[in-house]
Amino acid sequence: MGEALEVDGLTRRFGPVTALDGLTFTVPSGQVVGFLGPNGAGKTTTMRAIFGLTDLDAGSVRWGGTPVGPAQRRRFGYMPEERGLYPNMLVAEEIEYLGRLHGMDAGTAATATGRWLERLEVADRARSKVESLSHGNQQRVQLAAALVHDPEVLVLDEPLAGLDPTGIDAIGRVLVEQARSGRCVLFSSHQLDLVEDLCESVAIIDHGRLVVDGTVDELATGGARRLSVRVEGDRDGGWARSIPGAALSKVGGGEVRLVLDDAIDSDAVLDAARAAGHVTQFVFERRRLSEVFREAVGR
Amino acid sequence: MKALPIVIAALAAFAAVRTRRRRRGRGSSRPRGAVAARLRDANLLGDTGLVAGREIRERVRGRVFRVVTIILFLVVAAVVVIPTLGNGSSETQRVGVVGGSAAFDAGLHELATSVGLSAVVVPAPDWKAARAALVAGRLDVVVDAAGRILVPKPVPPTGTSPTARFALTLASNMGAHRAFARAGLTPAQAAIVARARPVGVESLHPGRKARSTAETTALVGVILIFVVLTQYLTWTLMGVMEEKASRVVEVLLATVRPLQLLAGKLLGIGVVAILQAVALVAFALLVAEAVGSSVVQGASPEVVAAILVWLILGYAFYSWLYAAAGSLAERQDQVQSLALPLSAPLILGYVVSLTGVSSGNASLLVKVLAYLPPTAPFAMPTLVGLGAVTWWQFLLSVLVSLGCTALVALAAARVYRTAVLRTGSRVRLRELLPTFGREASSSAASTSR
Repeated sequence: MGEALEVDGLTRRFGPVTALDGLTFTVPSGQVVGFLGPNGAGKTTTMRAIFGLTDLDAGSVRWGGTPVGPAQRRRFGYMPEERGLYPNMLVAEEIEYLGRLHGMDAGTAATATGRWLERLEVADRARSKVESLSHGNQQRVQLAAALVHDPEVLVLDEPLAGLDPTGIDAIGRVLVEQARSGRCVLFSSHQLDLVEDLCESVAIIDHGRLVVDGTVDELATGGARRLSVRVEGDRDGGWARSIPGAALSKVGGGEVRLVLDDAIDSDAVLDAARAAGHVTQFVFERRRLSEVFREAVGR
Repeated sequence: MKALPIVIAALAAFAAVRTRRRRRGRGSSRPRGAVAARLRDANLLGDTGLVAGREIRERVRGRVFRVVTIILFLVVAAVVVIPTLGNGSSETQRVGVVGGSAAFDAGLHELATSVGLSAVVVPAPDWKAARAALVAGRLDVVVDAAGRILVPKPVPPTGTSPTARFALTLASNMGAHRAFARAGLTPAQAAIVARARPVGVESLHPGRKARSTAETTALVGVILIFVVLTQYLTWTLMGVMEEKASRVVEVLLATVRPLQLLAGKLLGIGVVAILQAVALVAFALLVAEAVGSSVVQGASPEVVAAILVWLILGYAFYSWLYAAAGSLAERQDQVQSLALPLSAPLILGYVVSLTGVSSGNASLLVKVLAYLPPTAPFAMPTLVGLGAVTWWQFLLSVLVSLGCTALVALAAARVYRTAVLRTGSRVRLRELLPTFGREASSSAASTSR
């Protein structure tokens, strides 16, 4: 396993606006970490700060306990929110060039470029100009550019935005694979369902502060218990309306959804359901990440 | 027209090199041999060298560069070759002589030389036969030693064509000889009178002396510096702006320091600029040598050296400014308002120096501008061409320029670093000032590089 990337107390002000306000979280190696937050929460500023692209008023970024400097950043891969490649350069030459800027020799860079273009299914466009590629293919090339030097830390700002399902699958597979091989992978996204599928853990920020972090499992099972119950023949959930400690959150299509408080035993709910008829479904529901997110940012 | 094959050969060689390079570009970019691989890996300048290498490759490969280079080479070829066209065979006058003698023929040769021509004497049996040869175009002039001259077209008294010059001189000379004979002069006396030269006329103000070779070289050099600087500084400006606009700069700066990126870019474009300038000068000298043109022949070596030195210094000084300006903008329309104030001192230096070298006098203004880094690239070669500067003055100006370039580079790198990652509207210098202050005060807490 590699080293963890630690973001510690990052503070950044732009005039009267505080973009980052003592932001602290850790990206453990071997995991895909989803970096979430509403627009303007400070995600891009954080990622830029990791690469020294913005000055900080306070705080530091460490990797394996050492403050991150130019030498460490050579081992990092970055895909910025606003994609950036030379539009006139040939795809393969551009990736080789970026590989060499990360310290690879010419031969290794060429081999790695070929491998990544193959892996991301754009090898046939290696001799095309970047500007002639479709949006999706440009995105794949941009990811190849972030991966060519086999980085230990991968920081990707919205890598899945605007991609079709095939593109999402291709890039998603690569991210998971990178994490499995012991690297730190941090990526931001607004596609919360995808994040839930791809990530082991998430960090949610708002107004430049961390509001929630943890593994997806912890977050999905944390908070109040949720039940989904179906009783044969029942359409309006009348049986569930008067159980103390169980609030009815939704009724529809024969399904009754309840939020239980800490005091009530779920068996009491089951008893009430049985009393109403034949119970065909009784499931503890996981919270969707989108619910966690809305709760966390309060909107 | 002996120039034509040489020009065609030079262009063909140039085209061949270009095609080869293009083919190479289309093929795999992997190094071919161990030597090539070692050369590519032996990157002495680190990231700066890699950035410069990419800049050179992409620039030289670009269509704009190809077109501009071909045009420049054609212009140089035209400037050198065109004045020599029409000289060729007509510099020699084919003179049909009726009733001549050895002395008369010798006189014709002497006469032709005195007006910068050479004469081929063709003896003719009689006037009729000579006239027929003139009609057929086998002769340029027919002369009868008894005192008749015949040319194809009327010759005005101010005619400057070779035939006119020769015929007019011949006419007045033969007229004089006829007068000497009537006056009863002996051949010896006649020769003395014929060789009479006017006495000099002095004036209160010194006259414009003929332009020396050094001055001509300086004149051509000042124009060359202006053309090359204007072209490549615009590239620098647009190049930085395009990197910002395409956002690739964010990817680059995640691994390369801003100063390295900027220095590599300027170095790359600078190398292309200097190589192109040197190739143009070499091409001009080669073509001039081949066609016997006097435009650049015998160019003064110290002036050529001064031009090259100041081309490099001028590029070094201005390129930082243009790069900083490019980092403030990300669209063509935003860049316009930035380019104008930058090019003002460039144009001032150029115009003043061009006037100076044309007039042959080093005015006080030229002498002052020769020590100011923005105008010295034009004014100093002018002074060298005019012979109005000593070696230590030259060196002083070089040192001043180098010192100022270092200061400008530091400031430009700072502006670049802050401005190039700010997107949206054009960044104003005013907006950067508080950042500088803040940076200085919070550098301890900053991850700034």
